[in-house]
Amino acid sequence: MENHLLEVRNVDIFYGDAQAVWDVSFYVDKEKIIALVGANGAGKSTLLNAISSFNPLRKGGIFFSGKSTAKLKPEEVATMGISHVPEGRRLFSRLTVLENLELGAYPANTRPFLKESLNRAFDLFPLLRKRAHQAAGTLSGGEQQMLAIARALMARPILLMLDEPSLGLAPILVRRLFETIEALNKSGVTILLVEQNIPQTLKIADYAYVLQTGTLRMEGRGENLISDPNFQQAFLGVMRAST
Amino acid sequence: MTGFPSFAVFLKILINGVLVGCMYGVAAIGLSLIFGCMEIVFIAQGAVMILGAYCIYWMFTLTSIDPFFGFLLILPVFLAFGWLMYTGLFQRVAKAGKNPSLLLAFGLMVLLEHVMSLVWSPNTRTVATSYSALALGLGSINISFTRLMVSLLALITTGLVFLFLKKTMLGKAVRGVSEDMRAAALLGISPIWVSAATFSIGIALAGIAGVATSITYPFDPYFGFLFSLKALIAVAFGGLGSVEGALLGGVILGVLESLSSYTISAGWADAVAYVAFLIVLILRPRGLLGRSVEKI
Repeated sequence: MENHLLEVRNVDIFYGDAQAVWDVSFYVDKEKIIALVGANGAGKSTLLNAISSFNPLRKGGIFFSGKSTAKLKPEEVATMGISHVPEGRRLFSRLTVLENLELGAYPANTRPFLKESLNRAFDLFPLLRKRAHQAAGTLSGGEQQMLAIARALMARPILLMLDEPSLGLAPILVRRLFETIEALNKSGVTILLVEQNIPQTLKIADYAYVLQTGTLRMEGRGENLISDPNFQQAFLGVMRAST
Repeated sequence: MTGFPSFAVFLKILINGVLVGCMYGVAAIGLSLIFGCMEIVFIAQGAVMILGAYCIYWMFTLTSIDPFFGFLLILPVFLAFGWLMYTGLFQRVAKAGKNPSLLLAFGLMVLLEHVMSLVWSPNTRTVATSYSALALGLGSINISFTRLMVSLLALITTGLVFLFLKKTMLGKAVRGVSEDMRAAALLGISPIWVSAATFSIGIALAGIAGVATSITYPFDPYFGFLFSLKALIAVAFGGLGSVEGALLGGVILGVLESLSSYTISAGWADAVAYVAFLIVLILRPRGLLGRSVEKI
């Protein structure tokens, strides 16, 4: 077997009787930034949720460090080293910033490093230190995204999955967000990034997969995709669909 | 009809109401935690409470163990009982939705009531300790010693639950799971484990309220249902998911009952409580200290 960190192999995913993903395969290698791009309803979030064991597979398999995740519960996948920042961030809005971060280090294998991880999170996002005792629900959109990423990092993940982190952020914050993602990647975290913001995503991604209505349409290195006329056409379609 | 009370009498009624209300409060905190975390309306709370009261009664009459000492024995047993009840019954049924778990809780209540009336007969029981009739004089006001002790117990319990939720990792996880179960699972928090712990604590709180009942009230196997209703009202007063709100709701309910049974008549106490419940639901459905009730 190859040494991919994460491998998604020929998966079909259904919501009830409706099929959402058709025979999709892709893989993520260590210390890379891999992007899944496509319009709304292309199946990107569905795939992330399947990796986190929320959506059962009808066909195919998902392997993390060579081990199948098929029989694992979401909380067990999380403790294997996959942190998933879900769409809409899903912070505990009534808990304080600090409490949100602490819960990020809840599993027994990460709890001993709580202090250290907290300091690292505050160093990465100094603003969060100032807001530590504020309820997470009172933060601005940009601060909430910082907290969501910081909370996911508390578990010291091997793979960080980000589901549309730029959604609802002002352009300047989006730029800063992508810089943060790159910096995280340089520090050794592998990143699986789901985005609709395609130009910026392709700039930082080592490799990208393009999804359309539940199937894999194209794949390639970011710069190659951008100059590919086929991609441009599909990409323009994407732009039209998302506006 | 006794008319409007003098100040000293009014104070006595108020204090009595607060003392009784603390008991409602403890049962209500249990309900509120269980609902907040699992969205189960645990209507059997009152029956579990009475089971606790009978355990105290048995210990007291058979082996003359003091109720306050018996309480320490009951606590671990009820924690374990809650754990088993969740992992054995509610965990499976909760998957099917809210109504099946409400039905299960109702069935459990009826079962408990009838088992208790088989074991201990439907006759009313009391636990009469040497200090049951003791009253502390405070100026012109007499306060029942047992009620005072019971409300102290309630306050300490509430304080401990509050600290547990705010200061421990498990407590924070309980609050996290109550807010967003999926997000908690993504962080590696097992919702099942946390739910089981919450359920245990809820059942243990019912046990504590049962100890309190046993030494302050005469009780029979069917007394619990009324208490479940009172606890639900207290939860609605205070606002779902709020520990301090549940205690406050209990106290308000206790005071209302105490005041109305003096100024109108004892028979009207329940009616006044239910009317107040309706008014709160209409004017402030989130409860007095409440957060949102939207997810119901």
